[in-house]
Amino acid sequence: MTLISLKNIFKIYNVGGEEVRALDGIDLDILENEYLAIMGPSGSGKSTLMNMIGCLDTPTSGIYEFEGEMVQVMDDSQLASIRNRKIGFVFQTFNLLPKATAQHNVEIPLVYANIKNKDRAKMATDALESVGLADRLHHKPNELSGGQRQRVAIARALVNKPSIILADEPTGNLDSKSGSEIMTILDDLHKNGNTIILVTHEDDVAQHAHRIIRLFDGKIIEDSKQAP
Amino acid sequence: MILLFIENFRISLTAVFANKLRSFLTALGIVIGVLSVTLMGTLISGLDRTFESSMSWLGKDILYVSRYEWFSGMEWWEVRNRPRMRTDYVDKIKERSNYALTVSPVMQRGASLSFKDKKARTEIFGTNEDYMETITTNIAQGRFFTRNEDRSGSRVTVIGDGIAQAFFGDKDPIGQYIKIDDIKFRVIGVLEEQGKFLGLMSVDKQAILPLGAFKRIFSKRGWMRLSVKVPTDKMDESLDEMYAVMRHIRGLKPGQKNDFAINQTKLFENQYNMLKIAIAGTGYAITLLSLIVGGIGIMNIMFVSVKERTREIGVRKAIGATKGMIMSQFLMESVTICSIAGLVGLLLAYIFSIFINKFFPSTLPITLSIYAILMSMAVGMISGFIPSYRAANLDPIDSLRYE
Repeated sequence: MTLISLKNIFKIYNVGGEEVRALDGIDLDILENEYLAIMGPSGSGKSTLMNMIGCLDTPTSGIYEFEGEMVQVMDDSQLASIRNRKIGFVFQTFNLLPKATAQHNVEIPLVYANIKNKDRAKMATDALESVGLADRLHHKPNELSGGQRQRVAIARALVNKPSIILADEPTGNLDSKSGSEIMTILDDLHKNGNTIILVTHEDDVAQHAHRIIRLFDGKIIEDSKQAP
Repeated sequence: MILLFIENFRISLTAVFANKLRSFLTALGIVIGVLSVTLMGTLISGLDRTFESSMSWLGKDILYVSRYEWFSGMEWWEVRNRPRMRTDYVDKIKERSNYALTVSPVMQRGASLSFKDKKARTEIFGTNEDYMETITTNIAQGRFFTRNEDRSGSRVTVIGDGIAQAFFGDKDPIGQYIKIDDIKFRVIGVLEEQGKFLGLMSVDKQAILPLGAFKRIFSKRGWMRLSVKVPTDKMDESLDEMYAVMRHIRGLKPGQKNDFAINQTKLFENQYNMLKIAIAGTGYAITLLSLIVGGIGIMNIMFVSVKERTREIGVRKAIGATKGMIMSQFLMESVTICSIAGLVGLLLAYIFSIFINKFFPSTLPITLSIYAILMSMAVGMISGFIPSYRAANLDPIDSLRYE
């Protein structure tokens, strides 16, 4: 089943009177339970593409369908709802709230999903357990290692049972050991049926994916499948 | 929505207490605003109470005819040049006026009272038998003097509760002789306790004598006023009539200015209301000013807070917060700071009011306190609006990239 369908997507910025085509006619279909890596040099448009897929950004022109629904006609609350329930973001810099505990960080998407206090705690604990942080529930981000922080971030992305995990350079700020731990978690999530979309410029990270898309100057220059 | 509300409240408290000093300084304007408005209310409540009890001493249905106009700022020589009030006006007024129910002349001077070895310096009043009808106090013990005692110049006196206490304590003063400026007077009555007039002057230390005796012994031509009791529901008509009657008595021609004054307690009320307006005006001005300054401070700090947490806003949006949710989070934060500030102001006001109450009976008005809290919440709403709106409309991608 096609989860995401991008048709002739353009994203054009006007920088100092000069037209910059961040995305220059992208056509891309992503199926359920795909494991996709988006690669490319900096400035190639991979972040813009990821933001587009994550419903944080809207295209200048083109059609984006998420589960068959047109994204560009949605209002703020519909977009927020998709980000909340369908997509889990994992960032390079973790982006946890520094003053909140691991558990509270994981609970935040549940607050926006209007889930009751009691269920929230249970779901957050379960998510943290699934990334191996059952003993770090009440630690604040600055009391956790980089790898642990990223695992909290993954738990936060997972907690609402989204179909897609969008990971933007998830290992970029980690040492290689923590990085490979994170990749193992993402591999497991894929095995459990999630769709994983990775943005990376590291080949060994991209090797985990089953399909690699290479971008250059806002265009897809390569779309290859590979055996895991 | 409730869940979000609770969560927002939790975030707000965390934010406020994470920056204690900053929050405190920011909120100072609101604290002062609430403090000034509630203290002003406390002060006015105290004044009201004092004024009410003092005014009950003066009759509301009495016209006071004398040379001097209250609160008029007349020069002393102008007053001095006016002719005095005379005892025979009493009958003239009774004769000519339709509204006058009783007319009582009152002369007053300082004197020293003594009983055995006890002495007191006080005011003595000379008046007629109708005096009791022109005041609101009653006789506690004994009786007032009669018309005959007045006419015959009997040396009898009715004393205030304060003098009775000082001279006789628990003993019965009736029938005892006290000396007023070394002249013996027989005590025939005691007035009930009245308390202090406007919180300053005690009216319980007085002695009232028949005007006949007063004039014979102390002064024939002293200062005199006439208390004219009129129907309460005919105050205006009575006042007009009394001017006409007095002008006639004085033989004033049309066009000549009045050489007398008619005062009523309403003048006190007017004066008091002016004082109240002045206090309230000052209080409200300070409140308004500090709320505006405080509100600007809150707005400023909310802009800082939004700026500092740009990244957090980006994250929250990425994980599913709508614009409305972000907006409500920051609005809640500014309302929380202001409410806490309001409560602190109220607490301070309460402590102050306990202290004030020791000198001057007053209470912190509850309605005003509630309004003060609502007002500080409103300030939070208003000054938090633009920063929150800005936060809500931040671009999530830019916010996530914000360093």
